[in-house]
Amino acid sequence: MDKESLQKSITLLEEKFKPNNISFTLDNGLICFDGNMQTWQDMIDFCHAVAKLPEVKHVVSHIKTPESVCKEKIDITPYIAMGEVTNVDVLIIGGGVIGCGAARELSKYELNILVVEKASDISEGTTKCNNGMIHSGYDTKPNSLKAIYGVKGNAMYTQWAEELGFHFNRTGSFVCGFNQDDMDIIQGLYENGIKNKVPGIEVISGERAREIEPNINDGVIGALWTPSAGYVEPYEVTLALAENAIENGAKIWLNTEVFDVLQENGKVTGVVTNKGIIKAKVIVNSAGLYADEIARMANDEFYTIHPRRGALGILDKENKGKLHTFVGKAPSNYTKGGGPQETPEGTLLIGPSAKEVADKEDLGVDRDDLDFILDKAMELTKNISKDTLITFFSGNRAATFEEDFIIEPSKKVKGFIHVAGIQSPGLASAPAISEEVMNLTLAELGDGVKGKSNYNPKHTFNKAFRDCTNEEREKLIAQNPAYGKIICRCETVTEAEIVNAINGLVPATTMDAVKRRTRAGMGRCQSGFCGSKVLDLLSKELKIDPTEVTLKGKNSEILTQTTRNFKGREI
Amino acid sequence: MREVELVVIGGGPAGLAAAVKAYELGLRDILIIERDVELGGILQQCIHDGFGLHRFGKQLSGSAYAQKFIDKVEEYNIPVYCNTMVLEITKDKKVVAVSPKEGLVQIQAKAIVLAMGCRERTRSQVRILGTRPAGVMTAGAVQRYINVEGWKTGTRAVILGSGDIGLIMARRMTLEGILVEGVYEVMPNLGGLRRNKAQCLDDYNIPLYLATTVVSVHGKQRVDGVTVAKVGSDRLPIEGTERYIPCDLLVLSVGLIPENELSRNAGLELHPITKGPVVDTTMMSSVDGIFVAGNVGAVFDLVDYVSLTGEIAAQGAVSYLEGKRISSDVKEVIAGENVSFVFPQNFYIKDNKEKATLYMRVRKTMQKVRVEVSCNGEVIATKKERFATPPEMISIDIPTNKIVDGELKISVLE
Amino acid sequence: MVEKEYICIICPVSCDLTLTDDGNNLSVSGNTCKRGESYAKNEYTKPVRMITTTVAIEGSVYPLIPVISTDMVPKEKLKKCIELLYNLKLQAPVKEGDVIVKDILDTGVDIIAAKTVKKVG
Repeated sequence: MDKESLQKSITLLEEKFKPNNISFTLDNGLICFDGNMQTWQDMIDFCHAVAKLPEVKHVVSHIKTPESVCKEKIDITPYIAMGEVTNVDVLIIGGGVIGCGAARELSKYELNILVVEKASDISEGTTKCNNGMIHSGYDTKPNSLKAIYGVKGNAMYTQWAEELGFHFNRTGSFVCGFNQDDMDIIQGLYENGIKNKVPGIEVISGERAREIEPNINDGVIGALWTPSAGYVEPYEVTLALAENAIENGAKIWLNTEVFDVLQENGKVTGVVTNKGIIKAKVIVNSAGLYADEIARMANDEFYTIHPRRGALGILDKENKGKLHTFVGKAPSNYTKGGGPQETPEGTLLIGPSAKEVADKEDLGVDRDDLDFILDKAMELTKNISKDTLITFFSGNRAATFEEDFIIEPSKKVKGFIHVAGIQSPGLASAPAISEEVMNLTLAELGDGVKGKSNYNPKHTFNKAFRDCTNEEREKLIAQNPAYGKIICRCETVTEAEIVNAINGLVPATTMDAVKRRTRAGMGRCQSGFCGSKVLDLLSKELKIDPTEVTLKGKNSEILTQTTRNFKGREI
Repeated sequence: MREVELVVIGGGPAGLAAAVKAYELGLRDILIIERDVELGGILQQCIHDGFGLHRFGKQLSGSAYAQKFIDKVEEYNIPVYCNTMVLEITKDKKVVAVSPKEGLVQIQAKAIVLAMGCRERTRSQVRILGTRPAGVMTAGAVQRYINVEGWKTGTRAVILGSGDIGLIMARRMTLEGILVEGVYEVMPNLGGLRRNKAQCLDDYNIPLYLATTVVSVHGKQRVDGVTVAKVGSDRLPIEGTERYIPCDLLVLSVGLIPENELSRNAGLELHPITKGPVVDTTMMSSVDGIFVAGNVGAVFDLVDYVSLTGEIAAQGAVSYLEGKRISSDVKEVIAGENVSFVFPQNFYIKDNKEKATLYMRVRKTMQKVRVEVSCNGEVIATKKERFATPPEMISIDIPTNKIVDGELKISVLE
Repeated sequence: MVEKEYICIICPVSCDLTLTDDGNNLSVSGNTCKRGESYAKNEYTKPVRMITTTVAIEGSVYPLIPVISTDMVPKEKLKKCIELLYNLKLQAPVKEGDVIVKDILDTGVDIIAAKTVKKVG
């Protein structure tokens, strides 16, 4: 399609969104915008509308709005000067569920694999603030990558959970209808789900729904029921993948940020990081929210990641058993509608909401976000009190304007694989995406990659002390008295478990990392009691000063200085 | 399984008073289980004075108040397991605990006194919006860091909550060289004692902002500021009154809740307002032989009351162990006019003591009030108070011989 | 004539006190007990405060020990007293009531330990 007819369509859209000074280039279905607009939301709506034009395959937006954040330009010459620090076959950028999943799948082969993660822990980005739902796949557009990978990945979770030892409950999910309009939407979702081959999908009555889930609100007259939906703890899945990858020879570098992608003769050769130059034959871009920036470094930017923030809330464990499945509502634009569910750890999780934000690091929760998730949870359920909310937080979805996954080798640079736009149902799709990334990587590497004879797909977690029987507890304490020291009262986490986490295969070096591995601080007191004790253990095990212990990496230190000039503690 | 006559769970002021009293009443087979490395509970971090005026006739610091009881425990040789966490208690009074030294401890108790105290409400419970950086802490956590462990947690602080803990921490932080920008209080009146405003805020020129709350937290890694706003009579922020305050520490003193995980799991009936177990005037819960002492039952404002309830619980437990106790002989105390709750919630009819003490909180701030207890329409006890405010507990003794059939009610009248 | 308003800090009742200085005599109203009267007069002539803080200690579980003054000290000496205490370092064991500083800065008031701290290690 030529630029002229596209210009017409765009002029029509411009009248609606009133941009000022917008210019664009068109190249083979890729439209790239520059200029200014009044508001961030206008820019999002405009680009979404453009992405829907039949002439357009991909949209890149460099449009500025008053909300836009300017990233400081980093001088990378000192990092280049550090020279080559390592040389690998496959470099995976991003330690989220996709990066760690890909590393684990690739570790089946005789390959030198390195995952680099800019944060102080794996799962620190989109992964950790995910509601943990393994979607059944009823609402994705038929034949989209989301539909294909989602349904396939969902089915693969049974094997993943079995091999990797993470908690997985395949409990099913509901979309609830309160009136005929809702039921019409639900019928549409049902037909969509049939097209996507969602197993066991059916439309059921409100009574039947309450038989399965007694605390569904009495106002619900009917529901879409998909028994294949399940729930995981996303950071537990990611840790299992990362640890299994490491057990099979892969490496993970935390606090390692990529500043540039190096290439020669149209082929990648490595990256520049804050740790120096890492040489690589193949680079997998699974950088989540930052995938577009990494793509730009590789001179192959054909998508833009616009963060869509979702708030989640956690209710007290006293609600345990009140709900077993996900209970959602007939959806609105660009969100599944959100709703309450019980996590595998037995806490009630509510949300998410959906809001376009300009800053990828904007993890705030606004009044409307909180009201939305609380009101929705209350509307859909009964016997659950708002007052049992113990925490709320938000995460950003890594959305593209096309609102579909991008999983493909670069058409411009050899050895570079895009795994971008992985938003919901990204977690459900993770097993299928990881497998595909493995295949794409092997194809890039060419013949001669050998399977590993001693690959071990099995990974086990130590049973949590709180889940042990008294006999098991007695044995553990006899082996190691630190199992008898309860650090976190709310979640019954022992000193031994925290020490193990700090010294784990992927070491937990921050308060938040310890929390994600052990649940210390996740309970109702939100670390009021155990915070200082966890801090002390981190300081001792990592052999750092207590003032160097952080909540979540650099600049999030908890203590500022001593109150007195103690021996060995300088003011 | 090892048997113990009386297991006291918690070695803070309530548990210590209960154990000491039980010993003084002749009981010898007692065990105190404490989760911390030392006895004393939260009093160990309360280094300010103002404790024990009623009991010891002088102003002690919290740690010294606790020490008086700890010395008694040592003098009486009452067995103590420190560093030991109770994981479970059952209706039939089995106690499961763990400690590095004792391993897994399983005890069949004949009677139990619950004295686990309370915990602080968190930022989510008061719905403070925004981000989740380092530098948002409860007052108790900051107090522990500063007074016990010797660490400062910031350089420029905003305090939310003008209860006594918030006021005391404002002074403490100032003395430790932390700049306290101000104390903010969502209610239109001071949360704590006015003398604490005088000596903790006024002495150091720390401003107090009433009917103002912290709306949201800013900062990605460490707090770099908070937004405060005035609130209306519905306690919701008023649009247009927002103010940004740069700070690196937000200290929350926004209320306490009884610690009742063990009580709930043991099947004790809990009260919707106090959030603690329902008890009678001997401090026995809905489960025979399980007694309640101190803040685990209802959050008190004075430690003297906490110790007193511990002693009453001990008397109840000893009398229960002597077989002198019939559980069904209770009668509800109705929270009447202007009373938000009364503790204990039930009166034990066969009480052989001359008087029983009731504690209550009022619904609103009132001046020159009369506290009145009536039974079957007849006034059986009254007390005058110059002030009555919701944060302050009021106690009143009732003569047990005046309790007859009919409604037992407590009211506070202007 | 001078009139001053104070909130009494002697006990939790926190009475509102009014002190009147007519040039010859000081009179106090609003108090509900004797201690209130002397508090207001003190506050007007030479205000005093209790000292409660911590002092560094070695050989114990925690690095600090709480201390308290045996009586009130003049308010203007508070800062100096605390500075002095912040520069001390004690050795465990210490018993509750042990005198840490006798007659601190010639105030006639002692600073005593507010906790028994045992020696460890």
